[in-house]
Amino acid sequence: MKKAFVIEEQDNVATVVVEPIQQGETVASYGRVKDITVTANQDIPYGHKIALRDIPRGETIWKYGLSIGSAITDIQAGDHVHIHNIESNRGRGDKAKADQTVA
Amino acid sequence: MTEFMGYVRPDGSVGVRNLVLILSGTLYANKVCAHAANIILNSVAIEHPLGRTQVKPDLAMTRRFLAGTAANPNVGAVVIVDHFREEGMTAEDLANDIAFAGKPVATVNIRTEGGFYAALEQTLRYAADYTRTLSDQRREAVPVSKLVFGMNCGTSDTTSGLSSNIATGMVSDRIVAEGGRSIMAETTEWMGAEEWLTSRAVNQEVADKILAAVAHMEARALASGEDIRGSQPTGDNILGGLSSIEEKSMGATKKAGSTAPVAGYLEICERPSNTPGLYVMYGPGHGGESITSIAAAGAQVLVFSTGGGHTISHPIMPTIKATGNRGSFAAMQDTVDLDLSGILHDEYSMEEGAQKLFDEVLATCNGRLTKSEVLKDHNGFAIHRIGASI
Repeated sequence: MKKAFVIEEQDNVATVVVEPIQQGETVASYGRVKDITVTANQDIPYGHKIALRDIPRGETIWKYGLSIGSAITDIQAGDHVHIHNIESNRGRGDKAKADQTVA
Repeated sequence: MTEFMGYVRPDGSVGVRNLVLILSGTLYANKVCAHAANIILNSVAIEHPLGRTQVKPDLAMTRRFLAGTAANPNVGAVVIVDHFREEGMTAEDLANDIAFAGKPVATVNIRTEGGFYAALEQTLRYAADYTRTLSDQRREAVPVSKLVFGMNCGTSDTTSGLSSNIATGMVSDRIVAEGGRSIMAETTEWMGAEEWLTSRAVNQEVADKILAAVAHMEARALASGEDIRGSQPTGDNILGGLSSIEEKSMGATKKAGSTAPVAGYLEICERPSNTPGLYVMYGPGHGGESITSIAAAGAQVLVFSTGGGHTISHPIMPTIKATGNRGSFAAMQDTVDLDLSGILHDEYSMEEGAQKLFDEVLATCNGRLTKSEVLKDHNGFAIHRIGASI
């Protein structure tokens, strides 16, 4: 079984750091929270995050026990969590810059 | 109460090393210092490219770095060498700056001594005398509250924020809980994690200074054409899995721990007050400048968290390099002291990893040499500049 690392108890995402995960594989959490098991809905590359539970749109993404942004779509347990479905609460500098360039 | 064995100094501070520092006041005295340190046991030279033709604020910055380094409790005695007379930056000026520490200090001027050979001979005699004198001193048991613990990260990778930075923060929390102090700099990395730092500040003044420091660093970068916040997270970060600036910054700022109060804000090289706690220092992301400013503020030991593996090491402050990446340790184990990859390989918990790191810190304070100290690889001394040469 593949693994994803959890830093703090309230975290709703885990990070893939041992080996990358393919869609359909079963993933078990380890670290602070052990043995939450989810099925990966997409491929999850090394260093990327997987949702440990359903995270409705607007909810906070918790990593390090701290907010790293909010869900901008409904996220299902096992989803790849990244810039396509979460957004910084502090603004995304790179995105703001790209928007400016377009304007 | 945890104790370590250190050298108690006249001002009450405690060194974890007992070095004779041969300090160059100006680049034109560098080689006298280097030659003397090659000959004299237990001495270390600090060479640098500055000390002349700097604008006043920049020269004052250099002086803070040099004086702070000489005042560090790991230095038992100092020989300062300069070559001529630089206004506001003579060997005597530096000696006066560190008089408060009460340690033996000698000055050598190449011109006054009558040239290179004479200056080298005088430097050798002073340093040799100091080395013999210091060899009479013995380590004594002192509480961990005497520690000023430095923290830095560099050549970071995905494993840094997930393992070695967190373990470093837990060590800081423990040292502070036992009455000690810790220092973290790297202001650029607070960006996005400001609220988490300010929420731990002991008062509003400290919180305001943290926010002002981030704004100042951002403006400084912008003035040089570098938009720090506007480019975060970078394309590489996104490919690596980081989704927001706060995610990136938290990973770095986790080395500040989570329980220690932020007891104060420090200007670069400023010594912390005696109140236990975490101190955050204004400073650049440049690893050498950052650890040098932390040493100049009086830190006796520093953990350098490095996912990618690093060679950095300060000449007078043992620099313990720890990695959470197994491959990096394998590739860089000549200079990386501690392998913490067991955390992410599910072999031991974060707490056990932090305990290994704490044990390494304590052993190093008791006299265990870092790998870079054994190699005499004193590459990590660098002075921050705030003005151009004139």
